[in-house]
Amino acid sequence: MNNKIYIVVILFLSLGFFACDDELDNAQPFTEGNPDTFFNSPAAFQNGVDGIYRQLWLYYSNPNSGLQGIPDIVSDNVIQAQTGRRSNDDYHDLRYVASTLGPIPLYWSEAYEAVNVANLVIGQINNLNDGPEKDNILGQALAARAWAHFDLARIFGKIPTQSGDANGSLGAVYLKVEDGDTGDPFAQPARETVGSNYAEIIGDLERAKTLIDDDNGEGRLNKNGVNALLSRVYLYNGEYQKVIDAADAVSATLATAAQLPDVYIDKTNAGVVIELSINTTSESNGNNVGVLYSQSSSTATISEYVLDFDFFNSIDANDVRRDVLQFVGTNQGNDYNAIKKFLGEEGQVNGRVDVKVLRYAEVLLNKAEAQFELGQGAQALATLDELRNERFTSFTGGETGAALEDAIQFNRRVELACEGHRFFDLKRRGESISRNATRGDIIDGTGTAPEAPTLAAGDFRFQFPIPTAEINANPTIAGQQNPGY
Amino acid sequence: MKVHYYKFLMLFFFVCSISFAQGESISGTVTDDKGLPLPGVNVLIKNTNNGTQTDFDGNYTISASRGAVISFSYVGFETKDVVVAQNTTINIQLATSAAELEEVVVTAYGVSRRSNVTSAISTVGAQDLQDFVPSTSIDNILQGQAAGVQVTAANGRPGNTAFVQIRGVGSINASTTPLYVIDGVPVPITDNTLNNNFNPLGNLNPNDIESLSILKDAASASKYGSRGANGVVLITTKKGKKGDAKIKFISSYGFGERIPDSFDLMNAAQKLEIERQYAALGVGAAQSLPGATATTPEQRQAFIDLDTNWEDELLRKSVIQSNSLSISGAGDRLSYFFSLGYNKDTGIIDRIKGFERITARLNTTYQAKDWLSIDANVSFARSTTDLPRDRNNVQNPFRALYDYNPYDPLFSRDTDGSILLDSQGNPVYNPTTTFFPIALALQTEPENNRNFLILGNVGADLTLSEKFSNRFAVGLVSNRFNRTNRSIAGGVLQGFIGDANFPGTQTENFALDFEYNVSNLLSYNDTFNDLHNVSASFLLEYNENIRTDLFATARGFPSPNIPYLDVAAEATAAGSEEDRRILFSQALFVDYDFDGRYIASASVRRDGSSRFGPDNKYGTFVSGSLAWNIAKESFMDDSFFNDLRLRASYGTAGNQNIPNFQFLPVLGFNNTYNGQTTAVPLRAPNPAIQWESQAILDIGLEFAFLNNRISGVVDYFKKTSKDLLLNRPISFTVGDEDNAIFQNIGEVENSGFEITLNADVIRTENFLLSMGGNITLLDTKVNKLINSQDIVTGTFGNIILREGQDINSYYLVEYAGVNPANGAPQYIDLDGNVTETYNDSFQKIQEGKSPIAKYEGGFYTSVKYKGFGLRGDFVYRGGNYILNNQRQQGIAIGNINRNLRTEAFNYWRQPGDTNVLPSPLFQATADQGGTTRFLEKGDFIRLRTLTLDYNMPRKFLDVIKLESLRLFVTGQNIWTITDYNGDPEIGLGSAESGDQGNAGFVPGEFSLFSYPQTRSYTFGVEVGF
Repeated sequence: MNNKIYIVVILFLSLGFFACDDELDNAQPFTEGNPDTFFNSPAAFQNGVDGIYRQLWLYYSNPNSGLQGIPDIVSDNVIQAQTGRRSNDDYHDLRYVASTLGPIPLYWSEAYEAVNVANLVIGQINNLNDGPEKDNILGQALAARAWAHFDLARIFGKIPTQSGDANGSLGAVYLKVEDGDTGDPFAQPARETVGSNYAEIIGDLERAKTLIDDDNGEGRLNKNGVNALLSRVYLYNGEYQKVIDAADAVSATLATAAQLPDVYIDKTNAGVVIELSINTTSESNGNNVGVLYSQSSSTATISEYVLDFDFFNSIDANDVRRDVLQFVGTNQGNDYNAIKKFLGEEGQVNGRVDVKVLRYAEVLLNKAEAQFELGQGAQALATLDELRNERFTSFTGGETGAALEDAIQFNRRVELACEGHRFFDLKRRGESISRNATRGDIIDGTGTAPEAPTLAAGDFRFQFPIPTAEINANPTIAGQQNPGY
Repeated sequence: MKVHYYKFLMLFFFVCSISFAQGESISGTVTDDKGLPLPGVNVLIKNTNNGTQTDFDGNYTISASRGAVISFSYVGFETKDVVVAQNTTINIQLATSAAELEEVVVTAYGVSRRSNVTSAISTVGAQDLQDFVPSTSIDNILQGQAAGVQVTAANGRPGNTAFVQIRGVGSINASTTPLYVIDGVPVPITDNTLNNNFNPLGNLNPNDIESLSILKDAASASKYGSRGANGVVLITTKKGKKGDAKIKFISSYGFGERIPDSFDLMNAAQKLEIERQYAALGVGAAQSLPGATATTPEQRQAFIDLDTNWEDELLRKSVIQSNSLSISGAGDRLSYFFSLGYNKDTGIIDRIKGFERITARLNTTYQAKDWLSIDANVSFARSTTDLPRDRNNVQNPFRALYDYNPYDPLFSRDTDGSILLDSQGNPVYNPTTTFFPIALALQTEPENNRNFLILGNVGADLTLSEKFSNRFAVGLVSNRFNRTNRSIAGGVLQGFIGDANFPGTQTENFALDFEYNVSNLLSYNDTFNDLHNVSASFLLEYNENIRTDLFATARGFPSPNIPYLDVAAEATAAGSEEDRRILFSQALFVDYDFDGRYIASASVRRDGSSRFGPDNKYGTFVSGSLAWNIAKESFMDDSFFNDLRLRASYGTAGNQNIPNFQFLPVLGFNNTYNGQTTAVPLRAPNPAIQWESQAILDIGLEFAFLNNRISGVVDYFKKTSKDLLLNRPISFTVGDEDNAIFQNIGEVENSGFEITLNADVIRTENFLLSMGGNITLLDTKVNKLINSQDIVTGTFGNIILREGQDINSYYLVEYAGVNPANGAPQYIDLDGNVTETYNDSFQKIQEGKSPIAKYEGGFYTSVKYKGFGLRGDFVYRGGNYILNNQRQQGIAIGNINRNLRTEAFNYWRQPGDTNVLPSPLFQATADQGGTTRFLEKGDFIRLRTLTLDYNMPRKFLDVIKLESLRLFVTGQNIWTITDYNGDPEIGLGSAESGDQGNAGFVPGEFSLFSYPQTRSYTFGVEVGF
């Protein structure tokens, strides 16, 4: 009898077990999608495009290292408040090296993640039928891909107008799925020249311009956004007539003097052409970009960086931007010229607001600068005044020549202060960073003066180093580190 | 008389029926063949459940009627039966038994006599576990207990687990954790994901454990196939032993504290002084600090008066408490072991609760038929932990106590210098210059974890015929995890990042880890000509792991006292996911021995895993082993050896312990952008990924001589890991989320010797001195890498893999000291020249220096005199290096706005100064952490436990009517010898910077501010009824 049990039991168990091989083969991820089959509708593709925006947002809004603020922190619009956490002091004090954590690895990593998503979308675009929906998806992806590469090129490489050797120097790796640049996770590509980077950036943007819709909703690129971005890229590339043409193609209006304060508490998007948005209700744990500059509690404003004394005091009392930019922040008994632009939505001090990437004011300033460069002084002045009329209760104006150039640049500095432009504007114009070595961080100019007052034009630190992790993982780029690091 | 215990039992809310023995009280002493008393001898009245054990002095008392047969049995001795006659005193001398002498060892899928084992197995018994603080997890207890087992505590948090490696680094990034098998059920441990790590070992009650067997070589590990490569730890829980119910109650109480640092922090006066000096030198960051701005003596004195020892403010003495009760016994058909346990360790962080655990277990077997035995083991454990944030900033109290300036007091002061009160009259916590009052944050940002673990297995053993038997078993491990993470309105974080309209946030996480294992083992045993013993087993095993989790976040709480999402104004986020892994295995094991002298074993196992792509799903693992019992040969008859055995094994085992679906390209939808769904690629897939496999060679010699008073084991091992799995860093330009890809990257080798020795140095009637110890000598090497290309890894890129070099060698910039002429730190550039510039590209391999210990082990000395015992267990390690980032932070010039070590005063002041820190004027080049300046030897010897105990002799026990009574005092980690600048026992440096699952994580690579090791003192009592 025992033998019978034995046979039955063993047969039962063995047969049952052998069926298990199927279970193995059928195992699939539960909460993840298959990239080969997922992208099959315009809505699914838009999820992918929103993924690109998210990657861009990640490095623009990062509360420790966001590109919304680091270019100001590295240059001369702000000074480190000594009563802060001393965040980013390796950057502000111009000490960064390839192994410095924070912005250097963040930008290099996240921008390429954006590129990767963009290439995934572009590579599968033919899953959609031809038509405006497909065009709009492709246009957004191309433009976002160009945008990410543009950031890489301007951060890690020279800017074409910066110096004569810029176009021949090393920029970023430009990755296009249609050229077979992607798909190999073990690839160890080489950096390409700045010249070729800008050619490809412009190529992608020009193509995107013809495809993208006029309106894609908040936080997404549209035709105006692409043209506005083109006006900036052409300015960086020294193609001034094209700056003007691109600027003219942007059909937006300036935020008025009355609207301007509301722009920074996200009450209105007046004059904002490109932004990276956050839904503060459903993304209440999302990045609070304002922490780059300060953290506030009910009792204190703990500023990391405050406005440079000379810069703030050079802003005319008639200039509405003075109040948009500054408030008196108090911490440990000291008053500071604290930065107001990113405090939060109305009534909040959590620093969680949309990232303003490109406003119409910049488009006008790009155009004015291009006009000036082309010797069209009167037109440049008119363009500048278009902005100034909405920013001053009264101003003298009427500048010509060098004074006009200064006025354009000064207004650019004030208008775009703390929004991530200053370092690049100095860099592309081949100018030095010069901070007042005698003025401190406190509201009256006392306190601690900057540790590193100047960065001479042409200094190697105008190009961030390629992060150590890339150097270690990619022997090709290991031989292409920027000079000086 | 049993009524005396009634109240005791009521405490534990159980009812127990106890059979009353009838007859006379028989007593006596049991001795061995040399007349020495034998403790622990089983004294059992035949055909009843009535039994007892002899005490420490070999004495026993039992009730028996005249004519009953008392059976005396003890491992290693021949069982003796005595019929009760007139005499009520029966003294017995037991003879050693050749057959029974050998200890039975729990082996892979079975048990075996030690002399028949062809494999390298270390065992750890219950008595080795009893001295530890009961909240110590099992894996931490293993440290120093067995040769070849390297244990590094993750950190000192109560209940936290350890990094265990058996015979070196078999794998670099796939997990190196061995497979733990509890009563035949493999325990799922996930330690290589970012968010889903799971390790239930901290929730086992050490008092439930009978023995641990550590399978180290191929002969046994290979039987576990794809999961055996890192070695296997078999945990066997206690069973009821024949005889009447034995009731044991253990209670202990004690306290713990941080192990003091070997260096000093500055006090207020010192800190002000260094700030003044830095400011005078022109260091910008010091200009606005009190040391520079408080210029009058009165101002300075005001700061000095506030002198605060932040360790006293933030930490406390922990309270460690433990109670456990067990009831066990067995009759003819049924055996049972029942236990309850309660442990508490408040931890040393003030203001949070620490660790608390309640466990219960019931193990039973029942002989249902002559040919059928069924068994069931089930245990429950519930634990709660308040988790501090393991950050590398002042949000972590262990960093805060080093960072907060000593002139910053715990509570803010008003202008008069008295403690500032809020509108409710409560003192206001000082945000300090860091703006983060951790003392308040621990209260307003609580994180509480709760686990409910069920371990169970049921099995049926069928004796099919004399030669065939079959065991079918189903095991399960189920753990429910809950975490509540709150940020209370008005608290520290809410002020900064909270939404003013929705005060307070709370996140609830729930995860269910469930794994079941169904196995069937058909065995055949036969003997031919009384000399040839053959056995074979065929195994089928199906194992599935399912994890589901769920979370929800809400904000806007009416009161901090109602911590439930129901009352929140609105939910802001929610999510759920599921994960599965399947493993299916078939195996055949064959053993043969000739007359117990020549033994051979072989195994083959085929595993299929869902972790690999279609082409690489299956792996086959084989092993073969031989042993020769030299002591049993006739020519050894007159030798003084009691045991002499040579064994050798060779085989393969695999490692599949990487996250799921690494071979598939997938899209993730985890994040939204502006409230919209996003789809982004989650990883760089590698369809070619396959099993990591190991070939393990082991040659061992086991010996015992002088009547077994001296015994030992020597093993040589060589473990070659091929197709090594590594989450290898790749170019960022690929755009991968963690910039790394799981790939089979090459081959590494671990080889070395293990030696274990135990000796009873003095053995007399009243005095026993025994000593023992083990050492593992380990040599590691990278044999091959893809394209011979170096791989730079480590949390901060300070570790390198290079062919021909030690595994995980440091990759650092070489420090060349301070230039005596100007105080500048100097480094060695790539051409070998000394330079005052610092450049990351100067990094080079530090040959022979890695976080892996070159030797490691433990030793003990035990003295017993009459009822008193004193035992000290030491652990030691050496040959490893640690990057001392904690010291770097404590003397960094840029940290002048934080407290510093007093060592910081020793900076370069004038030309000619040597043996100094760099001048504060060279912050940029001096504050570089990735240099050999901070690379230190990690050698140490630590007195892990020291226990003094007293076992009450029988004559007193009889008076107070107890079976046994033991009183003990234990100190843990009470003495350390090291040259390392800090505590050398480092697993996790900082969970924020690098934790298990992060690409490049290497245990013990660097120190930062994770929960430190603690030392503790407990005293307790163990009572047997």
